[in-house]
Amino acid sequence: MKQFQPISLSSRELPKFIHHLFETLQNVLVVKNGHIVMKKLQDISNEVLIDTYDNLIPNQLDLFLASEFVNDNELDDPLFQNAINNVNSGLFIRVPEKIVVSAQLHVIYVFDESNVSHNSRIILQNNSNLNLFEYVHVSKKGHFNFVSNSIVGDNAQLSYSAISNLQFGVEGVIRRNNYIFRNGKSILTLAQLSDGNIDERSNVFLRGENADGIVKTVAITSQKQEFEIRQWVVHQAPKTIGLIENYGVSNDESRLMFEGVGKIEKNMKRSKARQSNRGIVLGKYAKLEVNPLLLIDEYDVEAGHGAAIGKIDEEQLYYLMSRGLPIEMAERLIINGFLTPILEQLSTDALKEVFLTQVEGKTL
Amino acid sequence: MSELVIKNLHAEVEGKEILKGVNLTIKGGETHAIMGPNGTGKSTLASVIMGHPKYKVTKGSITLDGKNVLPMTTDERARAGLFLAMQHPAEVPGVTNSDFIKTAVNARMPEGKNINLFRFIREIDKAVAELKMDTDLPHRYLNEGFSGGEKKRNEILQMKMLKPSIAILDEIDSGLDVDALKIVGENVTKMKSDELGLLLITHYQRLLEHITADKIHVMMKGRIVKTGGNELMQRIDAEGYDWIKEEAGIDDVRVIEEQNDERVVLGTCATKEALDL
Repeated sequence: MKQFQPISLSSRELPKFIHHLFETLQNVLVVKNGHIVMKKLQDISNEVLIDTYDNLIPNQLDLFLASEFVNDNELDDPLFQNAINNVNSGLFIRVPEKIVVSAQLHVIYVFDESNVSHNSRIILQNNSNLNLFEYVHVSKKGHFNFVSNSIVGDNAQLSYSAISNLQFGVEGVIRRNNYIFRNGKSILTLAQLSDGNIDERSNVFLRGENADGIVKTVAITSQKQEFEIRQWVVHQAPKTIGLIENYGVSNDESRLMFEGVGKIEKNMKRSKARQSNRGIVLGKYAKLEVNPLLLIDEYDVEAGHGAAIGKIDEEQLYYLMSRGLPIEMAERLIINGFLTPILEQLSTDALKEVFLTQVEGKTL
Repeated sequence: MSELVIKNLHAEVEGKEILKGVNLTIKGGETHAIMGPNGTGKSTLASVIMGHPKYKVTKGSITLDGKNVLPMTTDERARAGLFLAMQHPAEVPGVTNSDFIKTAVNARMPEGKNINLFRFIREIDKAVAELKMDTDLPHRYLNEGFSGGEKKRNEILQMKMLKPSIAILDEIDSGLDVDALKIVGENVTKMKSDELGLLLITHYQRLLEHITADKIHVMMKGRIVKTGGNELMQRIDAEGYDWIKEEAGIDDVRVIEEQNDERVVLGTCATKEALDL
């Protein structure tokens, strides 16, 4: 990070549905353009540090610099570097050792300024636990950068789910890096439901023995949207487990691409790398590509990948219709069923509703 | 009381004619059974009645209570009162059995009205108990990971919940053990009424020991070649179909070559094949 120049907060106004979401959820924080504008964190321990960069820097710069991975760019990703260099919004979350946060923490990000480069840092110290949900709402057309680095310490557990909603005209670059240490476990559940164009990468670095990283992504494209969504799961310690699951729906004339990479480095014995890709092509002119890759430099491992892409299954459709469901209803049920692995990660009915409404809007 | 009338029905799949002039009338309160060897078009008849998109009717008519069924979509036929318990019901991951059945029940309600949730749960729990199914079955995903017998019972469960006026049970006995067959038989028999016309499709008379049929039809070469009562069933049981073949002057009864249309499973490294779809 070169230097930090926060975006100034010109107005605390929020879209109506954000207010509604804030009211329906517990333990929620609304961050607008890098500034906390609403918060109720009744069930979150005071020991958990949650603050924006502009409040922390420079007072606690030491804390910031002491944390690693600020500038890590081992996959040599220029867009990541750019996002880091120009950071102007940030949120820091740190769960100290042995603190278990059982309530889900909801962070709602609202961005309506141009040239945002947001950076989130989530640190779970050893033996801690966090269940985080984030909603990313971007309304200003143009470029938008979002980076999140989560560090999961020894024996720590992170459940991190997110829904992205970047509106039409936004060109979004989203990077989530997830570093997992010895016996740590993390589940990323990411729903990319934006109306803009998206370049998204989720990187999981399995740094300690028995580290376990799962990244599940659902992405839906419609109209003339283009999404490129990549996952890298890098096994950097023995006995590590990585799983990539992708669920895609492409509608209208859109294009959706998934590229999942499982990489097992030399000597990382008894590691397991798996991935599965499933997709439904809804639109007549829609495209859906999947490129599953395994890069393996060690013999003593288990690895596999699979893919199944196609139109909505005709036999499923016929079966549902034979019970009296009109075709639109049958299709909706099949698509919602297809997205269940993501849906069941959303903890509250309010979030499920947000998810399903957005899905419906894009698949009708 | 409903009446399903099939007249001179011809149908083809991918340009190949399978049904070659089927005539059949089923009234509420009646139970018909279509028997016959494999590949003679029995299941095709069921699929054509339900409007499977794969089949094309080339000649003849199907009416339900005087209304022309052929222009109706599959869901319209279902809402008009037709029901098909399928031989190979599709698996739909992520959709729970009870959500699905609830949606299907609601699709039959007047616009904007839904079934009372408590009533629905009470009804489905009762039906599950009567079919001696696992109590968690409503919450499992539709047919996913069900055993053959569970799938068949699940078809009957749906029939109980949807209360059709004409129900076709396509080889409901295949894959059922003796006990399960008995349970299914009891449940179907209990549903019999003047409001329900039944068509059983089977190639064993075993099913008919559990569900009594008023009329037995034998299908060969895409047509019904013989119709009779209990005595016909008993003779088939004792002598097989050869005498009927001779009587009808048919050598090869088949219109369909047996196909294993198992779902293609894309295993590992199948990306390329997948993309070619």
